[in-house]
Amino acid sequence: MDINLSSEDLAFRDEVRSFFEENKIKSGEDYFSWRLGWFEKAREKGGWDVPKWPEKFGGPGWSPTQHYIWEQETAKANIPFDLPFGLGMLAPILMNYGDQEQQDRFLPDIRDRKVNWCQGYSEPGAGSDLANLKTKAVLSDDGTYYTVNGSKIWTTLAHVADWIFCLTRTDDSGIKQQGITFLLFPMKQEGIEVKPIITLGGSHTVNTVHFTDVKVPVENRIGEEGKGWTYAKGLLEHERTGLAGLSKSLVELEQLKDNARSIQRGNGNLMDNSSYRSKVGELEIDLLATEFTELRSLASAAAGGEPGPESSILKLKGTEIKQRIQKLTVEASGIYSSAWGDKGVGPSFAKGGTAGYLNSRYFTIYGGASEVQKDIVAKKVLGLTKGSSK
Amino acid sequence: MNFELSEEQKMIQQSVERFVQENYDLSNRIKISSEDPGFSKEYWSSMAELGWLGLAFSEEDGGFGGNQIDTLVLMEQFGKGLVLEPFLANVVLGGGSIKRGASQEIKDSIIPSLIDGSLQITLAYAEEQSRFDIEDIATAAREENDGFIINGKKSMVLNAESADKIVVVARTSGSQVDEEGISLFVVDSDAEGIERENFPTVDGLRASEIIFKDVKVTTTSLIGEKDKGFSILQAVVNDAILALSAEAVGAMEVLYKDTVEYTQQREQFDHPLSDFQVLQHRMVDMFMEYEQCKSLLFRATMETVQDPSLSQRTVHALKHLIGKSGIFVGESAVQLHGGMGVTEELRIGHFFKRLLVIDSQFGNADFHLDKFTNL
Repeated sequence: MDINLSSEDLAFRDEVRSFFEENKIKSGEDYFSWRLGWFEKAREKGGWDVPKWPEKFGGPGWSPTQHYIWEQETAKANIPFDLPFGLGMLAPILMNYGDQEQQDRFLPDIRDRKVNWCQGYSEPGAGSDLANLKTKAVLSDDGTYYTVNGSKIWTTLAHVADWIFCLTRTDDSGIKQQGITFLLFPMKQEGIEVKPIITLGGSHTVNTVHFTDVKVPVENRIGEEGKGWTYAKGLLEHERTGLAGLSKSLVELEQLKDNARSIQRGNGNLMDNSSYRSKVGELEIDLLATEFTELRSLASAAAGGEPGPESSILKLKGTEIKQRIQKLTVEASGIYSSAWGDKGVGPSFAKGGTAGYLNSRYFTIYGGASEVQKDIVAKKVLGLTKGSSK
Repeated sequence: MNFELSEEQKMIQQSVERFVQENYDLSNRIKISSEDPGFSKEYWSSMAELGWLGLAFSEEDGGFGGNQIDTLVLMEQFGKGLVLEPFLANVVLGGGSIKRGASQEIKDSIIPSLIDGSLQITLAYAEEQSRFDIEDIATAAREENDGFIINGKKSMVLNAESADKIVVVARTSGSQVDEEGISLFVVDSDAEGIERENFPTVDGLRASEIIFKDVKVTTTSLIGEKDKGFSILQAVVNDAILALSAEAVGAMEVLYKDTVEYTQQREQFDHPLSDFQVLQHRMVDMFMEYEQCKSLLFRATMETVQDPSLSQRTVHALKHLIGKSGIFVGESAVQLHGGMGVTEELRIGHFFKRLLVIDSQFGNADFHLDKFTNL
């Protein structure tokens, strides 16, 4: 065990930092052309545009420590936005279960950030119990296409997506994890209706999506018919470890402290208030521990291929930490936390703080609610199933 | 010791409950909230006609001679519908200041119109630097000729958009955080030099930032003695804490009951959610927090009615618990409703927002814990 970064790692960190520095957006530069150019240059560095992809598919093949350094540096630097749906969620499935033709057809556009994807999993009756899904896909008599009917809910950014990867039911005769088929199809076509859902924070990110007789050619099916659950499950675990967002939280924590210090109280500031300071301190301690839990998890994944048991608590701890940061921002805003809308009153960080807190309640619900996560830990890690006592 | 309401109080409780049931479903509330002035003038008139606005005023002032227990009865029921009408601003804050220290002349000119619903009033006390410290007053009232000139800025003033009169807390002497040297004045909201910036709040109500620039008031608009306004302000704020806590208890009741009902209907993993023990325990916790808040609400209210000089510590305890438990109950209701809980479509989210705002008003949970432990 050694906490020091090796000289190679330090050199890598410097290289990452100077790359970010050299490719910062210039004043007056168009954001979207800068964004595409940035990813192009990252690609020339040897797969920095797709850090998490395996080397075989053009990724950089970094060590866990290099990934950690990258996470830390990206959280601090001003780099272009990226969406996880194509890059982080669909791509691993295509790599593992898609055929060569599908990989050639979809991966390049994902890598070039040309196509926006959305994820069609949850349904009104299938939330935590995702396998309970009912959206029906019926194969045509000649076996060339499926006809899809049903509804999806909580579909993030469906209103701007070009394509959807979607779990559908092709057979309901067996147990519900069977008979699920994984289909890909364009969003901009007849028979697809997207309706916004407004969240407590007043924003429009998620939607309901209705399918009426949507035709999907059979070559858009990933793997075998009826095996979609197996493919999606691997991806769900991937999604869960990706939700911790710890490096970002560390940056936000420092911002939180700065904000609290800007609130003058008597001869000091809000950070001198013992109740508030204790909460910030407890949060930071949890964050320090969770950050190393993540590192241990990355290391054991690199050594043995499978994430270790410690990875199962990352989503639980990481999302809770994010919520606490939001809550403490609301508290720092004091009387101004109840102001709503674009017109900011009080300290500048108060604006949007409460909306952020309200929306953050979603963190412990999406991607598997915390209660379900704990069931998984109890079952998979502690071996606690009904009838397991001796 | 007796926790029974009087026959009259029970009748009022039932009539408010009915009013809320008939008028305050979610879609109607959203509609009223989104249109000016942010509440229903028709409902406000009904409240006046039913005598609710006069309950907490003495018979000499034209009211019904009630006390904080009567306000509790009203506010708890209001909390079950998230009633938008500005009862707190008018009766508890503005009216509460007037009834406690104003001259007979001012009382006569304001209280009857407040009770019949024809006049709107509010209280402007908070300031940008004051956070939750009510004695931290920088707004200055300088004595000049036969009156005062007020300069300063007030924050998060409830109902200021609709108010005809504003009770403004200003400093007439002492340093910025002295309790001594604070004075209360009643001014016309359209007086020269008053500028209001109105905006919505998280819970669908309205508030304003108000700038006072060389606003002239006469000596007769002083409420109570000069420099001695703090004790009035403190008593009014305590009443506001009791009233808001009663509203919060009503809101918490809706949240825990809606959650119990929802988890019995919603099926996942081939069971109603309510079959899962981990969710059952969370709902038991919500229920317990609600009951504990109600107990402390009764305790603080009854102690205040008995002797306000002895109830301060319990009032701090109450506001701490209401803030902490209210947010716990709100967050839990959202969590147990899953994705639906994070949308504007179900009413629980709106109740949660209200509880969040209540925590930020008149001192949050941390603030009152500090006060409680230091007293």
